[in-house]
Amino acid sequence: MKLKSIAKWFLAIMLITPAVINALPVKVSGEMWNRWTNEQIKAADGKDKTSKNYMSLERGYFGLETNFTPNTKGRFTIDMFSSEGETDGAGLKLKYGYVDFANLVPVSDMNLTAGLQKVYFGTLYDWNYTIIGKAPADEYKVANSSDYGISLNGYLPNGFGEYALGAYNGEGYKKVGSALADNTNMAYLANMRITPIAGLTLGGSYMANSVKREKALADDAPVAAYEEQGLMDGVLRLNYSIVDFWGEYISKDMSFPNADDKDYTASGFMIMPIISLSSIIEKDIQVLFRYDNWDESDNPSDTAKYLLNATTVGVNYNFLHDDSNVPAMQLQLNYAMKKYDEDKSAASYADGAKDINQIMLQLKWRFAGTISN
Amino acid sequence: MKYTLIILSLILIATSPLIAAKKNQLTLTGSTTVLPIAQAAAEAFMDKYDVNVSVRGGGSGVGVAALMNKTVDIANSSRPMKAKEITIAKSSGVNPTAYAIANDGITIVVNTKNTVKNLTIKDLKGIYTGKITNWNQIGGLNMPITVISRDVSSGTFEVFNEKVLSGSKVIDSAMMLASNNAVASTVGDTPGAIGYIGLGYVTEKTKIVNVENCIPSIQTIKSGEYKLSRKLYMYTNGPAKGNTAGYLNFIFSPEGQKIVEEQGFISVK
Repeated sequence: MKLKSIAKWFLAIMLITPAVINALPVKVSGEMWNRWTNEQIKAADGKDKTSKNYMSLERGYFGLETNFTPNTKGRFTIDMFSSEGETDGAGLKLKYGYVDFANLVPVSDMNLTAGLQKVYFGTLYDWNYTIIGKAPADEYKVANSSDYGISLNGYLPNGFGEYALGAYNGEGYKKVGSALADNTNMAYLANMRITPIAGLTLGGSYMANSVKREKALADDAPVAAYEEQGLMDGVLRLNYSIVDFWGEYISKDMSFPNADDKDYTASGFMIMPIISLSSIIEKDIQVLFRYDNWDESDNPSDTAKYLLNATTVGVNYNFLHDDSNVPAMQLQLNYAMKKYDEDKSAASYADGAKDINQIMLQLKWRFAGTISN
Repeated sequence: MKYTLIILSLILIATSPLIAAKKNQLTLTGSTTVLPIAQAAAEAFMDKYDVNVSVRGGGSGVGVAALMNKTVDIANSSRPMKAKEITIAKSSGVNPTAYAIANDGITIVVNTKNTVKNLTIKDLKGIYTGKITNWNQIGGLNMPITVISRDVSSGTFEVFNEKVLSGSKVIDSAMMLASNNAVASTVGDTPGAIGYIGLGYVTEKTKIVNVENCIPSIQTIKSGEYKLSRKLYMYTNGPAKGNTAGYLNFIFSPEGQKIVEEQGFISVK
């Protein structure tokens, strides 16, 4: 399994070294998220108390991208972030490290992408954090936002939509090496989005994944924890005038072939209207609302059984725009309330014990430039 | 509840003084190739109508991105929009509608001292990928070739890449310049140089080279006989209305198409 770690660093070196030796133009980009978080919970005495109040660098993306030819592009992105789990107070994650081959397959506008890349599931791959929270599939741990794999992805003619077919490790970008020893099965994904008319997007994704080995490596004995997952996602986006409405439905079928009474289905949905005020006022301001429902109440595990309702309201102020009107800076203010249904959740969720009120203020800033020969 | 009130108050404070009516204006951004047509047409249009037309360059990619971000009325582009761009635009509620406002030929230019009169597509690919490095390899003087290209974000580069390079990489030593003017000027000042520009940018300091024994002309570009012919576009969000329609109608009028020709391009009529 060391090979996988070596491979990722090799891929990174492969991306950078030719750029240095042959002086290929390299696009350098960065995105930093400076955040203040204040969280209130209901303490054991029933009173609301501040459980978190801190500032942090939640994301520190640094990316390199180069075109080996007009049809072959490499990208490498790392994430440096504040982390309490590390002795130095900061963590490092590999986020992307892939090569895109356009026109390798003789289908127009199709790419073959190999390496650590986006997972084309639901809204994961184009979630741009207009709201501070994660995409639902990421938030509820249905799928990972990036993973090691190979995919065919592309666009239909005349802007009619996009598609992707992929095979991934299935464990996400955080797991490599020994963390994958107990799962030798790949995850398989299909994704389709159509835009029949301007402003209307309909999409669907399916991913077949698994966790753990079906049979133990040593003696082929059935592994009770082995689970097969059928993950489905439906996306609706309506964008008319000043309103950009996102809707997403997710279903997660969990099957345990080697154990009884463990199968269950979790599902949920999100609605998120974003209202852009830039055409009304001369400032790029967005007002946001998001409502999530995630139903894990069918889960037979006593501790993991819950029904969550989460509401977020927020406002974004975008400024320092470039020639294409892409803002270099975004100031975000979000207020989120997470409440667990007492009747449908496990006992540990009773009396609002795990309910959270959270306010976040975040300054995102981005930069990009090209180093040419 | 307390936080909700704070947020609502902040929104009101932030937005209340900023409300302003949109002016009677039209904005265009994008291709540097289309820029002279757009500017000349804007000046003539503003002389006739009470509309303030603002024209900026930046490149086709910048114009298309601005259209997708709903910040311009017209995106100028020297290439058709890509399927990816159209998909993203449509998802964002933008319906890219193309208006081909002029014909153009990507014109191969060399220094006036160069004796080469004709190049094949294969020759051009050889030169731009570094397989041909001296003019004497293709019947010219014993003179090293200085390769001049447009930068990769340019629409002209993308059309050249599609029609000549077929995805191959431009030689690393090539000078990647940001505008047609810069290419024409550098070729004019460098004896062994070769470059490609919009037809309207050809100057007396440069010499046009035939491609596949065909010279870029009104007839050969309109008929498509000239292999590097293309159309120049203006994109709007949905069928043009109001001032945008007025401006485009002006460009398609005999007066507007005359401006196209005066700028060195070929009319679509």
